[in-house]
Amino acid sequence: MERYNKRNTTRYGGQQVQALSDVTFSVEPKEYVAIMGESGSGKTTLLNILAALDKPTSGKVCLKGRDLGDIKDKEMAAFRRQNLGFVFQDFNLLDTFSLEDNIYLPLVLAGKKYAEMNSRLQPIAEQLGITHLLKKYPYEVSGGQKQRVAVARALITKPQMILADEPTGALDSRTADDLMELFTDINRNGQTILMVTHSVRAASSANRVLFIKDGEVFHQIYRGNLSNEEMYQKIADVLTVLTTGGDH
Amino acid sequence: MFYPKLAVTNIRKNRKSYFPYILTCILTIMMFYTMDAICKNKGVYEMRGSDAMIAVLNMASWITGIFAAIFLFYTNSFLIKQRKKEFGVYQVLGMDKRNLMKMLLCETFLTAVVSIGIGLVLGILLGKLFFLILLKMIRFATPLSFAIEGESIVRTLILFGAVFAVTFCFNLLQLRKVDPVDLLHGGNVGEREPKTKWLLTSIGTATIAVGYGIALLTESPLASLENFFFAVILVIIGTYALFTAGSIAFLKLLKRNKNYYYKSNHFATVSGMLYRMKQNAAGLANICIMSTIVLVLISVTVSLYAGMQDILGLRFPMEYHVAVYDPDQERVSQMQQIVEEELEREQAQVEEKEELVSLYLVGTVSGNTVSVSDGMMNLGGTHSIVVTTLDCYNFMEDKNETLAEGEILLCPAKGEMQGNTVTIGDSNFHVKKYLDSIKMETYEDSAVTPNVYVVVSDQNELYKIADKYAFNGQGSIVYHQYFNPKGEKDACTAAMNAIYERGAEIDGTYFEWRENSEEEFYQLYGGFLFIGVFVGFLFLMGTILIIYYKQISEGLDDRACFQIMSKVGMSRKEVKKTIHSQVLTVFFLPLGVAVVHVAVAFKVLTKLMAMLNLTNVPLEAACTVGTVAVFSIFYVIVFLLTSKEYYRIVK
Repeated sequence: MERYNKRNTTRYGGQQVQALSDVTFSVEPKEYVAIMGESGSGKTTLLNILAALDKPTSGKVCLKGRDLGDIKDKEMAAFRRQNLGFVFQDFNLLDTFSLEDNIYLPLVLAGKKYAEMNSRLQPIAEQLGITHLLKKYPYEVSGGQKQRVAVARALITKPQMILADEPTGALDSRTADDLMELFTDINRNGQTILMVTHSVRAASSANRVLFIKDGEVFHQIYRGNLSNEEMYQKIADVLTVLTTGGDH
Repeated sequence: MFYPKLAVTNIRKNRKSYFPYILTCILTIMMFYTMDAICKNKGVYEMRGSDAMIAVLNMASWITGIFAAIFLFYTNSFLIKQRKKEFGVYQVLGMDKRNLMKMLLCETFLTAVVSIGIGLVLGILLGKLFFLILLKMIRFATPLSFAIEGESIVRTLILFGAVFAVTFCFNLLQLRKVDPVDLLHGGNVGEREPKTKWLLTSIGTATIAVGYGIALLTESPLASLENFFFAVILVIIGTYALFTAGSIAFLKLLKRNKNYYYKSNHFATVSGMLYRMKQNAAGLANICIMSTIVLVLISVTVSLYAGMQDILGLRFPMEYHVAVYDPDQERVSQMQQIVEEELEREQAQVEEKEELVSLYLVGTVSGNTVSVSDGMMNLGGTHSIVVTTLDCYNFMEDKNETLAEGEILLCPAKGEMQGNTVTIGDSNFHVKKYLDSIKMETYEDSAVTPNVYVVVSDQNELYKIADKYAFNGQGSIVYHQYFNPKGEKDACTAAMNAIYERGAEIDGTYFEWRENSEEEFYQLYGGFLFIGVFVGFLFLMGTILIIYYKQISEGLDDRACFQIMSKVGMSRKEVKKTIHSQVLTVFFLPLGVAVVHVAVAFKVLTKLMAMLNLTNVPLEAACTVGTVAVFSIFYVIVFLLTSKEYYRIVK
């Protein structure tokens, strides 16, 4: 059970700005949630708080009933490593490591044995179709392939939840579609995913979409039995309302 | 006014890298000018025996010039590489290459004017101070004035003007080679993992091993002089090869060991080091070699200077030394007469006196046979054979030994020769007694080659041997007289000057006295020390600057890497630890290797110093250790200062 409650968060950037206020929502295990909103709506702050990279000024974030605010700074890195997997817009792969080593990175930091890491990697690499790339280096492969490697790196720790920050942002539309299909697959295998995006197309692959405006949850829609196309339409409608300033 | 203004803004904007560069320019120019001005100083020219020092100073000013040129060029290329992106932006904003060229010209001109201007002013001001230090070191009492040397100013202007012109041309070439898109992307292209170069690694290992082997195994000081340069070249090659290829091969081996590599404290460090070594190996090897040179230069000159009294002591067992080569009774008594007359004139007496006649031969020893060679000092295995008479021996040692014809007393080199009969040349001698030590030893330059001392029964015997060798240029007979005078110091000096002058009229005589030599020695070794410290300082400055730039540029490179690591779940502490161990390794590797080089070279250095009559090994060791310690302190200070900057960038 993963549950997130949050109130009154602020972000500092020279000037004090209240980025989020009164955001409360929970994510169930095995759910696939997308969070949408325009730039400046507080998406990134929200993700940073969920990832425990930032601390809310008030309110709390709980993972399986454990308050993230209670975790000591010293243990935070380990906690993040064990429970969360990250996928970033710009991949964040290390050029100095082979793709294989990039994927191993969190496990190495966790002190796992090579044999175990290797046995964990094989099925994941197979699923993501990157087995033949493992010995290569980031500069030798395409953007879509890099993002698959990043997904593998997020999956290999068997995290409670994957946090994805604009995962399709640096990809062309076809590669983006492939990646979203992959996310759907992974989610079907039981992986909880929370994705922040402003791409309607990307969001339409999620089971639930939360809309954030001016730091508040503005609206949310569930997929139910809708197809991706229908979901796309529904999200687009909400966004129209959102941008034309309709009230909820 | 647009371009000059832009140039000023640019330099100020890049002050982190430009100010140290300009500072180095200033200091280098100052040092070059000072050194050159000292060479040109009239007073120095008129100083007695200053030829050697001027020659050394001249050489040093050339070294400074060459080093300055190479170094400023190197630093400049680093600066320009860093600014590629900036030029890209200017080009995108609409400046064409002509505009950029004008901008660069203004910048170079500005840098040149500021550095040469301040450098010369400081050189003229501080030159006086350096000059006073030099005079103090060479114990020169008479005050000399340090004038502004027009010629040196012109030389400085020409040299450094040319250096700046060349850097400007280089920068233009850099601009010409690239288009804005490349410039914008600058260094963002993913770097290839370095390949292991086994051949270069083995060459490096072999050259270092041979170089070290030569340094450690060479016994004879004469051989060591020639071998030393060979060893130095081998070790330089080896250092470059091992830093560039060896380090990578080593890291790759670590990486191949999966159980070692996939550990949280090794993972990032090993792969980080791989790239770091790929980019920096040459720079680090430079630092290492420069540090080694600084250490050797300073420790040798300091040792020589500090050991001056030892050197004099070895050379002068007594205050005065008269020698007559191929003596005959007439010239010897003439010489003795001169000494007596002059001392008497100044109312001084001889207090202690020792006389000896000896025959010097060169040869090799194998078993109990001494073969006399043809007078040329061969490298390695060469022995000096010193033959003297029983009279001399008994007189000097205050003993009453007797020898029959064909009998000798023998004092061989350590661990050599035993048995009752030895062969010298083609005659056999019966050894009556082996001597452990002989007083004569202190009167000879015993350090250069192993010596064999032979005491024969009388002069006839000595001349018998001499007849065979000495008179066809294979050896020489020398009459030595050592004595200490008693009397007033001024009177003695006057007497000695008179003896010196009168003695010169007799063929084949040589006369030297301690006081006079001391002056010359201080000039020579004081000058050496001055230059050693001067050039050492120059190299140290270069080292510091390279290190500083390394830290800055690596900080920029590493920032992205460590940001990703912390995002993926590395704690701040782990990140810091990883950075720390990498920075520490990169930083102290050159120093560590330099210290090892110096330690290995130490034995050869003591031998080379022995040739300069300094045999006080503990003193030399102390000077070397002291130099290493002082240098390390400088190094650590630089490390602390620059790593602060580094961490600031990475965070």
